[in-house]
Amino acid sequence: MPTVKGDGMRGLAVFISDIRNCKSKEAEIKRINKELANIRSKFKGDKTLDGYQKKKYVCKLLFIFLLGHDIDFGHMEAVNLLSSNRYTEKQIGYLFISVLIGANNDLMKLVIQAIRNDLAGRNPIHITLALQCVANIGSREMAEGLSVDIPKLLVSGDTIDSVKQSAALTLLRLLRSSPDSIPMGEWMSRIIHLLNDQHMGVVTAAASLIENLVKKNPEEYKGCVSLAVSRLSRIVTSSYTDLQDYTYYFVPAPWLSVKLLRLLQNYPPPEDPAVKTRLSECLETILNKAQEPPKSKKVQHSNAKNAVLFEAINLIIHMDSDPNLLVRACNQLGQFLQHRETNLRYLALESMCLLATSEFSHEAVKKHQETVITALKTERDVSVRQRAVDLLYAMCDRTNAEEIVGEMLEYLESADYSIREEMVLKVAILAEKYAVDYTWYVDVILNLIRIAGDYVSEEVWYRVIQIVINRDDVQGYAAKTVFEALQAPACHENMVKVGGYILGEFGNLIAGDPRSGSAVQFQLLHSKYHLCSPATRGLLLSAYIKFINLFPEIKHIIQDVLRSDNNMRNADVELQQRSIEYLQLSSITTADVLATVLEEMPPFPERESSILAKLKKKKPSSVPEGSEQKETTASKIPAVQMSNNVDIAPPTSINLMSQGESSTDDFVDQGSPQGGSASVDLLGLGSPTQPTAPSVGSGGLLDMFDTLTSHSSAPATNGIDLGGLSGGAEEAFRKFICKNNGVLFENDLLQIGVKSEYREDLGRLWVFYGNKTTFQLNAFLVDVSTPGNLSESLSIQQKPVGGEVEAGAQVKQQFNMACVQEFAEAPVMTIQFLYSGAQQKISLKLPVVLNKYITPAEMDANTFFTRWKALNSPSQECQQIIKATSPIDHEQVKAKASGYCVL
Amino acid sequence: MIGGLFIYNHKGEVLISRVYRDDIGRNAVDAFRVNVIHARQQVRSPVTNIARTSFFHIKRSNIWLAAVTKQNVNAAMVFEFLHKMTDVMAAYFGKVTEENIKNNFVLIYEILDEILDFGYPQNTDTGILKTFITQQGVKSQSKEETSQITSQVTGQIGWRREGIKYRRNELFLDVLESVNLLMSPQGQVLSAHVAGRIVMKSYLSGMPECKFGINDKVLMESKGGKSGQDDTRGGGYVKNTSGSSSTKTSIAIDDCQFHQCVKLSKFETEHSISFIPPDGEFELMRYRTTKDISLPFRTIPLVREVGRQKMEVKVVVKSNFKPSLLAQKVEVRIPTPLNTSGVQVICMKGKAKYKASENAIVWKIKRMGGMKECQLSAEIELLNTNDKRKWTRPPISMNFEVPFAPSGFKVRYLKVFEPKLNYSDHDVIKWVRYIGRSGLYETRC
Repeated sequence: MPTVKGDGMRGLAVFISDIRNCKSKEAEIKRINKELANIRSKFKGDKTLDGYQKKKYVCKLLFIFLLGHDIDFGHMEAVNLLSSNRYTEKQIGYLFISVLIGANNDLMKLVIQAIRNDLAGRNPIHITLALQCVANIGSREMAEGLSVDIPKLLVSGDTIDSVKQSAALTLLRLLRSSPDSIPMGEWMSRIIHLLNDQHMGVVTAAASLIENLVKKNPEEYKGCVSLAVSRLSRIVTSSYTDLQDYTYYFVPAPWLSVKLLRLLQNYPPPEDPAVKTRLSECLETILNKAQEPPKSKKVQHSNAKNAVLFEAINLIIHMDSDPNLLVRACNQLGQFLQHRETNLRYLALESMCLLATSEFSHEAVKKHQETVITALKTERDVSVRQRAVDLLYAMCDRTNAEEIVGEMLEYLESADYSIREEMVLKVAILAEKYAVDYTWYVDVILNLIRIAGDYVSEEVWYRVIQIVINRDDVQGYAAKTVFEALQAPACHENMVKVGGYILGEFGNLIAGDPRSGSAVQFQLLHSKYHLCSPATRGLLLSAYIKFINLFPEIKHIIQDVLRSDNNMRNADVELQQRSIEYLQLSSITTADVLATVLEEMPPFPERESSILAKLKKKKPSSVPEGSEQKETTASKIPAVQMSNNVDIAPPTSINLMSQGESSTDDFVDQGSPQGGSASVDLLGLGSPTQPTAPSVGSGGLLDMFDTLTSHSSAPATNGIDLGGLSGGAEEAFRKFICKNNGVLFENDLLQIGVKSEYREDLGRLWVFYGNKTTFQLNAFLVDVSTPGNLSESLSIQQKPVGGEVEAGAQVKQQFNMACVQEFAEAPVMTIQFLYSGAQQKISLKLPVVLNKYITPAEMDANTFFTRWKALNSPSQECQQIIKATSPIDHEQVKAKASGYCVL
Repeated sequence: MIGGLFIYNHKGEVLISRVYRDDIGRNAVDAFRVNVIHARQQVRSPVTNIARTSFFHIKRSNIWLAAVTKQNVNAAMVFEFLHKMTDVMAAYFGKVTEENIKNNFVLIYEILDEILDFGYPQNTDTGILKTFITQQGVKSQSKEETSQITSQVTGQIGWRREGIKYRRNELFLDVLESVNLLMSPQGQVLSAHVAGRIVMKSYLSGMPECKFGINDKVLMESKGGKSGQDDTRGGGYVKNTSGSSSTKTSIAIDDCQFHQCVKLSKFETEHSISFIPPDGEFELMRYRTTKDISLPFRTIPLVREVGRQKMEVKVVVKSNFKPSLLAQKVEVRIPTPLNTSGVQVICMKGKAKYKASENAIVWKIKRMGGMKECQLSAEIELLNTNDKRKWTRPPISMNFEVPFAPSGFKVRYLKVFEPKLNYSDHDVIKWVRYIGRSGLYETRC
């Protein structure tokens, strides 16, 4: 770079010192105004300015702009400077342009032309200046305009190294800002050979570029693997004295090493054995170097060394193929676990989390369990403790589950609030996954609720109930433990819920002991009743009615409670209704009916733990996919044992957990003929393979039984009909003849609403897909077909709809339809989606009918009658008399007729 | 009430800081500097509220005066006080500059102690203050003198001490008006008002009682038969002879306010302005009128944009008063577009120059008689810019000084009665002068 000495601009210096000497803002503005006027007159003047003057004025403008004033001229002069041959003038020109000319300026074309000229020139300094400007602006227009020139520079043989370096970085910048406007060409294949370049700077710049390219299109650049490995091995094996300029505190080319290691993480382990051995050697060398005593006490030395090391470990984890390396990496990380440096400990925990998921190193990681637990307890930084929790979760298996869960529970009492909820979920999952003895599991969860009740989400206690119900060997133990837990003077509401449910179901199992007799159990539960929220109270009421069944001897006590004003006249409608209905149920029905209605809950169908789903939702990254799949197969809970009453005809049971508005309506299950297996899932967990029958509204108790008997044999209409149209759709479709808006289809998963408007021959229809489940619907696909020759008379244009429908969300799709000629058929819409992995298909007629395209014509009485009378030939007249099935309501007829578009 | 008072220089350094109340902390000084003086965007509002504390500031050249309070004070009172404060300082040491403030800071603290008591404004009359705050060294006063000062400051007529004697009893009356105007390009008056002040210099012996008559409609009508005063107008002082007849009709004063010496009770009941004047210079009255203003000048702009590169401006200024009178210091300021690259100006009278630092053509005419017309034409060359915004064409403004009151205000009489001493109204020499100045005098173009 030429020195600019003696090339200073006196005028500029004077101007700047004037500005600095200004006493007030006003004075400064005056000075600037004066200078601007001067520059304007100079630019305007007939006399042509020489390069020096132009440079000076452009520089002044730049200075004024940087002071915060608007500059609206001088751009042309700056562009002119670009064509100068002097370095300083070009430099100022480029500087002005990078600072002041926006991406969508009119002058951009000129600028790009100037840049192109410079790029094509011979002078490397000019080329570098141009590249720098491109990298600073990086607009789409530039990417398009220079997409040929820059790659050419990069791969051409006669460009010098520093230019190549800049070109690589500039190209990277353009790729990042407008990836699609760079055409791929012949240079692509040659670009990977830059990794072999003599100049380390070029290699470093190229490595970043290649990594970016590889991310988009890994196959294309496969060749870079062996090149990268050989380059890496050359660096790793070299002594720090070999790469003079690229040695940073005794570490040879740390940045390049890191970049190469990252690049390799985009590919699976190399297949070529030679390359593979070479890579393994490299990684081993890196691990070996980590063992060497540090060459310098400076922090930069260890930072650089560790950066390379961690990236190498990441690569080892990524490859996941060499047990030897994995174990070594694990040991290395183990050393870091006790390192003084907090950052290192954090990184070590994080990397170990990944190592724990590998089958080769899982055992090795387990060796550090003690250290990790100490870290969890003593670490001062909460983010490090969080990592320790993650690692404990990841390293847990059947052998150490009890210990780890114990430690985590112990720590939970003093844990940070920010990580409590996650810890609770993790403890719950681990306890379930690795439970050999289910009494232990029950203990753990109850402890969990006791320690951190506020952080125990619904899913956790739902799950414990599911497990207790499905496993009859723990039911007695669970009832006993819960009973004991409830005796504590203050228990968490979640504990009361679990207690209520379990005692309601299995209270009889512990009633033999006089200390936990029926009355005692009831008193215990009822002592908590008034401290609870309405939802819990509802649950407790259901538990009471179950007690009536279990212990007829305390029936009168419970009836008194139900009869009390506090319940029967409660302001909460839900509680009121429950009280009244349960009271009637207990007083009217015989013991047999009562026993049938209040039968023990049937086992729940087996499914993925909802807690896991919750944890995934909360922190998608924190659940290692690999391990989970492996473990779920390993630790499947034994098949559900059907309860004894399977073959007894309609086994209905009141689900204690039914809550909320809808609960009273569908709180008696419509038992399906298969017996308990399809009982309504009111836990909100939804079993997709067995959608339930639509609920039948039932006002009073007697009704309830009527519907119950009549429905007991009715097949479940589950709305999934693969062949023809989906159930109930035809009726809904007919409604749309007279209506424009409404619900077209509804089942347990999906609600489809329609809104439409028509104007002359054009129609617009919006379809709303509402996901009613708590899960995402995937691969959501909507297809519209036109049966027969409908496509000739009705053209339908369909706007795309996203592939996913989030839980509880609604998505909208628009259809535009133009009526070309009259038609009779309606188009058929097919909706396909994946719900929890199961393919669902719904076919519906799209409510597009001819009458929608009818436009009413305005006319006064006279015209109407003249026309009417003109229709008098016999063929134009037709009459049919039908008997009305319902009385004619004037308003209703009017509404229908206007909906039919004839009014 | 005012909790404290600070004076800063243009850099925001504190020159004077006086805190009167405990609710104003030390950090208030910095708060004002950071939020107002050094604010990124220029603070335009004279009242700033920072953390429940109100700052009232005025700026004199490069000096900031800020009064600070936590209470809900009358803002007009605070600004009145701040202006009075600058007047007092100016009366003591001339121009209010950083240099002068630094040189007189002991004096300023002394003044501040006197004119603000626990945040309540006290007597700010320069004449009185000068009697007991002097720049000379401490002069031990006799008991009589001190008691006299005390009785004077606390007494009924706090603005005048007794025992003043002059050989020549003389008084000077200045009617100072500033005309504000906004006119449309077609010559339609969009808004106009006159703000006037009557400044009096009295050199009278004893405790004279003065009666002042003006041609205000209300006062005239209430007096009924009494006829007006002379109609003399002109530069310099004219000896005022009361009792002659006049044809000029009365004017409507929108609002007015008086010096504390004017007996308001008499004004209420008898519609007469009577007072015992302070010795020396004081401002007797302030008033404002909006009707029947005789505009001294009319500006007729003619702007033609010739393409994007050039613009032609022609401005005609007409003087609209008696030919016998002479206007002075006439200055017309014609704003130019922000992309002006060159200006050629031709004018018949005066000097015109393009001032780049102010983005305006400034046309100065030293003297201009009544009923005259002057013209200026300019060619403005413009530079092409890539800024698409159109030039907003700010209004053309004018500055001038004319020897009459544009509102039509007239002094009808000023009578002096001194029953105890042996001089009568006829022996007093009275001078009246009218000066009309421009305020914001703008014409849109």
